[in-house]
Amino acid sequence: MIHIDRYAYRSKLKKTDPVQKLFFAVLTLGMCLWADSNVISAAVLVLMGGITVFRGGTSLYFLMKLLAIPMSFLLVGVLTVAVKISEDPGIMLVSLPMAGVWVGISQQGLRDAGRLFLKALGSVTCLYYLSLSTPLVDMLSAFKRIGVPKLMVEMMGLVYRFIFVLFETAETIFNSQNSRLGYASLNSGYRSLGGLASTLFIRAYRRSDELYTALEARGYDGELNVLEEPYQRHWAGYFAPLAVNIILIVITLLLRQYEGGRLG
Amino acid sequence: MNETILEVKDLHYIYADGTHALKGINLKIPRGKTTAVLGGNGAGKSTLFMNFNGILKPTSGQVIFDGKAVDYSHKGLKELRRAVGLVFQDPDSQLFSASVYQDVSFGPMNLRLPEQEVRRRVELGLERTGILDLKDKPTHCLSFGQKKRAAIAGVLAMEPEVLVLDEPTGGLDPMGVSGVMKLLKETQEQLGISVVMSTHDIDIVPLYCDYVYVMDRGNVCIEGTPKQVFSQPDALRRVHLRLPRVAHLMEILQREDAFDFCDTAATISQARKALKSVSRGWSF
Repeated sequence: MIHIDRYAYRSKLKKTDPVQKLFFAVLTLGMCLWADSNVISAAVLVLMGGITVFRGGTSLYFLMKLLAIPMSFLLVGVLTVAVKISEDPGIMLVSLPMAGVWVGISQQGLRDAGRLFLKALGSVTCLYYLSLSTPLVDMLSAFKRIGVPKLMVEMMGLVYRFIFVLFETAETIFNSQNSRLGYASLNSGYRSLGGLASTLFIRAYRRSDELYTALEARGYDGELNVLEEPYQRHWAGYFAPLAVNIILIVITLLLRQYEGGRLG
Repeated sequence: MNETILEVKDLHYIYADGTHALKGINLKIPRGKTTAVLGGNGAGKSTLFMNFNGILKPTSGQVIFDGKAVDYSHKGLKELRRAVGLVFQDPDSQLFSASVYQDVSFGPMNLRLPEQEVRRRVELGLERTGILDLKDKPTHCLSFGQKKRAAIAGVLAMEPEVLVLDEPTGGLDPMGVSGVMKLLKETQEQLGISVVMSTHDIDIVPLYCDYVYVMDRGNVCIEGTPKQVFSQPDALRRVHLRLPRVAHLMEILQREDAFDFCDTAATISQARKALKSVSRGWSF
């Protein structure tokens, strides 16, 4: 996740208004889930992946690597959909008899599994588009603008900022323990880990105290009022995603009619 | 105009745990100058600084800003904290936002300035501290020196009249130290603000500071111009401090090698001048 953030800072889409990007990603994600069609899922995959790579400048290799992360979960999940139990071996492509029933893969099961697989991949690409083009700080400002409670946004911001400080502190303590053989045996390892956890807690508490003092020195009065850097904002930023999604919805409806007609 | 911008009179501060951190401090911060506060660890420098802008309220005694005793009401404190900006020692506990730009905008936003003015001040603060090109970077990717500059920018953006810095050069590499000191000196000269800083780095004091207070265990024990302070080496050593290296060398030359300097020298250029004037009397 920390890695993704670094790519987001480098993206050429970083300067684009985060609300627009959020709008585009969530709308397309919803549409992809609603359409539930192979063609549309593949289209979303190509569209969002294409924008991330060509407009955002993220390398295709890195995007592929990211898409490989959910693959293992996806394959296991999809496999359970594909495998069916039936008393009729006729509908199965491959099957094994097991305790009086047939366990195997049917054509319908395979089709369902494929559709689910593509749908999930398409949806994940929507989220990758967002996270590879929008650093968390920008995301928070988008949340603030669309009306998420301010306190929650502030908390998320502070957590994000201080997670890195906490990591650093933990690493320093761990290294200093380790260089004094704190983790040489299992026993001392447990003892050291306990010390690390409690020290970390105390340090975090102290730091929050210091942070409050420092904020107070700059006139803190209960709200973290800050200015964001100006974003590139244009109405077309909302229009284009809307248009794309309308086109995709129309295609879905046409496909449904066509398939419905063929089946009927 | 009042020559003293900030004054402290018989200031005592006792922490909740009973630590008597400040024991009757009296000092005057001259307007438009750079004042150094020296002292060993635990001398009370940080406590004093937090009394300067009302983060801590004196147990007894007075803090006087621009001729008026500090008003500890909500409004009075707000005004004081605008006028007396405090930069903390550890930038990691001062920078709260993951975006440098947002963090610097925090102070001016709290002054309820119009957006245009806040943007102007943020850009100016970033430019002055030389980190304008880092405004898009997340805070956690900055080096320690860059974080320190960002912390200074965040306070400068409030356009204070007194800039108080707790160990501005602590933890920086040699280039970082001279970079920060030059930026402080420039800011002080261009904006005419007063700078107060604590430091352990004795060598920079004669180079950049106009006045010096030396603290020891909650008291001010020596004060004066760098020249006056560094002409009392024994008093400095008693409070675990030392002379600047150059001044130390000059002291040894004078005492052990019978050099006869007419003036004390604490910086390289002063020492060079003193040595040259002595060598002119030699015949080879």
